[in-house]
Amino acid sequence: MKRHNDTIRGSVSLLLLIALFIGFSPARASEAKPFAEKQVVLQISDPDPFKQTLVLNVANNLLKHYGPDRVEVEVVAFGPGLRLLQAGNDNSPRIDGLASQGVRFSACENTIANFTKNLGKPPELNTHAVTVSAGVVRIMDLIDQGYRLIKP
Amino acid sequence: MNRIVIRACGLAMLCALPQAQATNWLMLQGTEAESAAPRAKVWGIIQAQYQKDYSDASAADAYIPPKLLGPDLDTQDGFNINRARLAVRGAGFPLDGKINYFLMAELGNNGITSAGNSFAKMTDASVTFNHIPGARTRVGLFKTPGSEEVYQGIINIDYINFTEFGNQQLIERLPNDKYTNNRGAATLPVDSDNSLNTVEKPVAAARDTGIQVFDTFVMDDWEHSYAVMLGNGNGLSLSDNDDSKDVYLYWSSEKVFGGKGPRRAGWKMFAWHQDGSRLLDNTNDDVHNPQEFDRTRWGLGTQYRKMPFRMTFEYRKADGMIFVGPDKMTFDQNVQVSGANPGGADGAEGKAWGAYLEGGWYIPQTNWELDARYEYYSRLTDDSGHPAGYNFESIWKTLTLGVQYHFNKKTRATLNYAFRDVETPDFAKGAGPNANMDGIGDRLALQVTAVF
Repeated sequence: MKRHNDTIRGSVSLLLLIALFIGFSPARASEAKPFAEKQVVLQISDPDPFKQTLVLNVANNLLKHYGPDRVEVEVVAFGPGLRLLQAGNDNSPRIDGLASQGVRFSACENTIANFTKNLGKPPELNTHAVTVSAGVVRIMDLIDQGYRLIKP
Repeated sequence: MNRIVIRACGLAMLCALPQAQATNWLMLQGTEAESAAPRAKVWGIIQAQYQKDYSDASAADAYIPPKLLGPDLDTQDGFNINRARLAVRGAGFPLDGKINYFLMAELGNNGITSAGNSFAKMTDASVTFNHIPGARTRVGLFKTPGSEEVYQGIINIDYINFTEFGNQQLIERLPNDKYTNNRGAATLPVDSDNSLNTVEKPVAAARDTGIQVFDTFVMDDWEHSYAVMLGNGNGLSLSDNDDSKDVYLYWSSEKVFGGKGPRRAGWKMFAWHQDGSRLLDNTNDDVHNPQEFDRTRWGLGTQYRKMPFRMTFEYRKADGMIFVGPDKMTFDQNVQVSGANPGGADGAEGKAWGAYLEGGWYIPQTNWELDARYEYYSRLTDDSGHPAGYNFESIWKTLTLGVQYHFNKKTRATLNYAFRDVETPDFAKGAGPNANMDGIGDRLALQVTAVF
């Protein structure tokens, strides 16, 4: 009986752990916002600093228009656009604000490798940035999931 | 243990204080937005102007520089391209946002280019390293931290001409290498033989070559900035010409109301101090025997800027190397007279002070702006009690009224009318310096400024 109880307790604990893990994992796909009616992926791959401001403006405008719970926005940065997600970027406070409203930021690992080669060390990334194997592939995957691609 | 943790956290928080985002002159001119700066941003400014000076000739039918238009000093009215500047700035290696540069050249016709009839002159060439929190380091040629009037970007200057103190004591005239006699007044038209402007070096333009440590700290809605600079003290000449270095100190604290960039809303208080020495051959002979003379400038002031108002007050003092003209970078008022009363009128060791109050009102719902500035300036300030007839202190009072029309945020037209009143009180009308200063009159100026 004791063994049986231990087994039940162990199973429950495992389930709780799994639930906790799922609950606290950074949501990367549509399950993050179950009530979202629109899904948008914003591409930033341009070296022009003005584009950094623009892509954040667009993300903010989407949240304002649809409401944070009604739209899923992911910003995918690759190539020179990855500078947006470098730790010291002047737009970091805005990224913090958007992330707190559910906007996701993806950083291309291929670009990170190139940055590392050029800088001689890995670039320090914004804490909200989540790395993806390839920015372009991430965009294609999101499009397959029903996202619309916008490149401001 | 807890105390250690708390202290460590406190230190970490202090180190993590957010850095300012290019919102004051130190930061605007010396830094770029980290990881958001272009490799090379090309920009510039053009100022085309017309000025007319209403001064009268002296009794001898002659004119002195304050009665003529600079930098050529040969006419009382005319058109000029006062400034035409081309600049490039950014982060040369954009992946490394901690290093940025600034390069600018002047192609207009002013005190920077008139010496030697230069086609162009480099005014800025600097690199800033932003690696150490709280101690950014800028090296090269750049504007020295100082009086708001001359430290602010040209784009922001709401008047066509500087104040008299700013023009004479801060836009520094560097001495010619060898003594040159006063030219005295000149008759119109001033020809090349009688030129009032045979200078060897460009004005310093409030710039120097050296190294500056600076930063800005944001604390709630306040920004506190500091700068310490060591420079050659040789203006735009790039290299040093003496054994001493100039030291520049600057502090400002600003309560930020909002916005960003050069016209950000806020209330700023600032103080600055510049100290150095200059080589000057101040003896009236044919021997090249320059000596070092101390040169100190300092000041403090405040500025309030919130639409639709702007108001600025500055008090400034100068000790040593008092530029008095009339040309060839002369620092003594009159060798013959001062020789009889040593120190009585010697600008090399003289003093000056000035203060101005200015304000602007942007007429709501229009593109018009009204400006007014009043300046009081004492040159060769008499603080030694010279006997009557030997006090060369001159008092300059100038009221400038202005109207600006902003075509857009980067293009505007400015109309100024300056009422000028200049006299040397210790001398009767027509006597001593007044023989030439009498008749300094009003000045009308119209200017178009375009930034691109």
